[in-house]
Amino acid sequence: MVPLLSVRDLVVEFDLDRGALRAVNGASLDVQPGEVMAVVGESGSGKSTLAFSILNLVPPPGKIVNGEILFDSKDVFALSEEELRQYRWKEVAMVFQAAQNAMNPVMRIADQMVDTAQAHGKASKGEVLEKASELLRMVRLEPSQVLHSYPHELSGGMRQRVIIVLSLLLDPKMLILDEPTTALDVVTQAYILDILADVREKLGLTMVLLTHDMSIVAKIADRVTVMYAGRVMEVGKIEEIFYDAKHPYTIGLINAAPSLIGDIADKKPIPGSPPNLLNPPPGCPFHPRCAYATDRCREEEPELKEIGDGRLVACHNWWLINRDL
Amino acid sequence: MAVTTIPAEFRGFLRRSLYEPFLILKKDKRALAGLLILLFFLLMATIGPEVIPLDMRTNFAERFKPPSRAHPLGTDYGGRDVLAMIVHGSRDVLSVAFLAALFTSLIAVAVGMIAGLKGGMTDAILSLVINAVLSVPSFPVMLIIGSVFKITNAITFGAVLSIWSWGSLARAVRSQVLSLKEREFIEAARTLGLGTFHIVFRELLPNVMPYIAINFIDTMRGAIGASVGLMFLGLVPFSATNWGMMLNFAVRQAGAIYLPYAMAYVLSPMAAIMLLELGGVFFAHGLDEILNPRLRA
Amino acid sequence: MLVILRRIGIALFTIFVIVTLTFFIVRKTPGDVMQAWAMDLLDTYSMTYEDALAMVKSWYGYNPNQPMLQQYIAYISGLLKGDLGKSFIYKVSVNKVLIRALPWTVFVLSVSLLLSFGIGVMLGMAMAWKRKSILDPLVTAYASFTGATPDYITALILLIIFAVNLRLFPLKGAYDATVNPGFTWEFIKSVLKHAALPIAAYTFEHAASWALAMKGSAVGVLGEDYIMAARARGLKERRIMIHYMGRNAILPLVTSLAISMGSMVGGSTLIETVFSYPGVGWFFGEALTKRDFGLMQGLFLFLASSIIFANLAADILYSILDPRIKLEG
Repeated sequence: MVPLLSVRDLVVEFDLDRGALRAVNGASLDVQPGEVMAVVGESGSGKSTLAFSILNLVPPPGKIVNGEILFDSKDVFALSEEELRQYRWKEVAMVFQAAQNAMNPVMRIADQMVDTAQAHGKASKGEVLEKASELLRMVRLEPSQVLHSYPHELSGGMRQRVIIVLSLLLDPKMLILDEPTTALDVVTQAYILDILADVREKLGLTMVLLTHDMSIVAKIADRVTVMYAGRVMEVGKIEEIFYDAKHPYTIGLINAAPSLIGDIADKKPIPGSPPNLLNPPPGCPFHPRCAYATDRCREEEPELKEIGDGRLVACHNWWLINRDL
Repeated sequence: MAVTTIPAEFRGFLRRSLYEPFLILKKDKRALAGLLILLFFLLMATIGPEVIPLDMRTNFAERFKPPSRAHPLGTDYGGRDVLAMIVHGSRDVLSVAFLAALFTSLIAVAVGMIAGLKGGMTDAILSLVINAVLSVPSFPVMLIIGSVFKITNAITFGAVLSIWSWGSLARAVRSQVLSLKEREFIEAARTLGLGTFHIVFRELLPNVMPYIAINFIDTMRGAIGASVGLMFLGLVPFSATNWGMMLNFAVRQAGAIYLPYAMAYVLSPMAAIMLLELGGVFFAHGLDEILNPRLRA
Repeated sequence: MLVILRRIGIALFTIFVIVTLTFFIVRKTPGDVMQAWAMDLLDTYSMTYEDALAMVKSWYGYNPNQPMLQQYIAYISGLLKGDLGKSFIYKVSVNKVLIRALPWTVFVLSVSLLLSFGIGVMLGMAMAWKRKSILDPLVTAYASFTGATPDYITALILLIIFAVNLRLFPLKGAYDATVNPGFTWEFIKSVLKHAALPIAAYTFEHAASWALAMKGSAVGVLGEDYIMAARARGLKERRIMIHYMGRNAILPLVTSLAISMGSMVGGSTLIETVFSYPGVGWFFGEALTKRDFGLMQGLFLFLASSIIFANLAADILYSILDPRIKLEG
């Protein structure tokens, strides 16, 4: 099957006063049509930057230094400005982290919907609002209540759902969700996830879900990509990752996630601190915190190897890894 | 040998008040330029009149002469040297501006402190007053007062200029006092039984000083502009060399703007005012950086 | 609603304070001024000195035989009826002077405000949008310059260059005395020509600071998430610049509008004097130099009250424009 999204060897650098910071350091990713791919990693792992790159929207001083991104077999970086503008939102849409501030505070919701639609072609106000109302109902919001409001008049959870509706307005082929539930309380989180599952079923969307919370991944993802220090560490189906993880970092993440049963004191956080992206250590980026690190890990950077059908790992000692250690 | 015996605190104090500001000024070229301009005018006001004599006798044969070696800025309608008048006038201009800023600061600090410390009804009334002072534009008020009360010397002039200008500083002082009031060190001082006097002078004032200092320069600038404006309208007839009066005579009474060869006479006071104000603006920016470490790039 | 009423109350209170202050200041008018007026009347109307003095005092609204409180009440009730007093030099009521002068001042000030605000806001938006263009240092330098120069000096410079030396614009008046007022093209042309320099003076002086203010506000807005989100939604750059950045950035400037109007009115005396433009400011200046306290007082009250109400209007306007703000007490 031809992947809907194909990222190859992406390198994104931020040009800061203190030097060049590599937010994404050679990442590759494939997403098949119709699947939900979770991209997991701590903050600083590069997943947000990766997401922005898919829309070619990396904010300055960031620059895409290397790599290619193919969406529906189109080279995203080769698009003209106008083509890029059309591509954004119509083909790929994004639900931002902290949706609190993703809408213009002085425009009503309805106007922002119309704005979005009319930027991509002729559409009458009535048509747009009808579509919007349909979508609003799908996310369990009342159109008459929401459309005439200003963003600040809605609660956090409502705003998040409006943002989801905005993203679905033009029937995109793929939806990127950047930490869609982080800013919300646990109850609302569950609600939103429910809605997302609903939406996915009804519309058959492909989704890329960025998060650091493994419990969300368990609920909704088909496949998982694990990122660390701007690189892909492991890729696999969700059962493979949860029950048979091969990369030490992945194991650490799963072990560190709290669950309802069991004592939180049993949970083992990953020792050490996140890597310095300005001056990364040689070899595998995870080695300073890895219990299985060998000399080879300290010197040689591991390649992302295919060890099964769609199963990838970037670790020298992957076959030695045992989850229960 | 002396350096090693200076206590560390004092060295720190010197560093903060002399060395660091100096570094900041060196980096910010505009602020440095501003400081130099201000120093130039300060020199002009203090030493200038001793160096360049002023001869106010009229000599109508020499009137409206263009710049020459004898009169680098030309002569006025009475044949008097313009450069000498500018130099002597700088003293008046600067002293009036200084006095105006001084009075303004005193009133503003007093009102702001009382309003902030006392709170309650006093604060409410004083706030209304501050509001009133801020909503009515100060220049017309100064015009009226200047017209009704005769302004005869620099002190009265300074007082008139300050009557309506203390509003924004008072507001700033008041809010600073309000926020400081709640902070621990005031509580601590109170529990220690230190009197209001002590609290005001040792705890509150030092924290309010930065605002006052920056505002001082700005107020002086405003006072210069307003004082010249008042003189231009002929309301302050006490000092003929003050640049505002020079402008008044040149434009309104002698009609010198219609005489192309008297351009230097008309332009000199204007240029002097502009230069002084510019120096003030630039330096104020630097002063802001010194006193407000957050602004340093 | 309650809050608006409260604001109106404060405004009225402020005006009341101003009125009272003015009343007492004018009572302090130095006696020699009144004597001078009395002497003047003596000559013109050949009356006795006592009569002349009494007449002068009554023109002040000042019956010296009444106790202060009664005078005050008389004064206030006169004000409430719209009686702003009388002018000595023109021998008519202040209201009459206002009717003649106000249209010119309003004309010049509103055009100047619109122009300087409009130009400033557009410049500011452009400066914020295109970070590294030549516009930025140019406008900033220009702003320091005009910020430092008092407005009447800018006016003088313009007068000297354009009116005196280049003879492009007239030297005084609101329109050419030889032209008859009316809706003729000739009259309108003359009016525009005479208003051009005063308007230019105000605009030169203030446009740059509006530009800087707008730039500062816009740069802040640009850092907000919704700008990036708008780009991600594929909106056109122009639309983002105006509706997403512009509309948000302009809000804080609206409150400054009222303050700016206040300072423009304050400066109108000098600028109109420089250009001999017969607006309210010019008459105020004349009243000052000629010691016409009746006119002075009346005009000042009018000016002060208009500014106070303008501030009030701006406050209310701001709360309408920004849906997030509910007027606070």
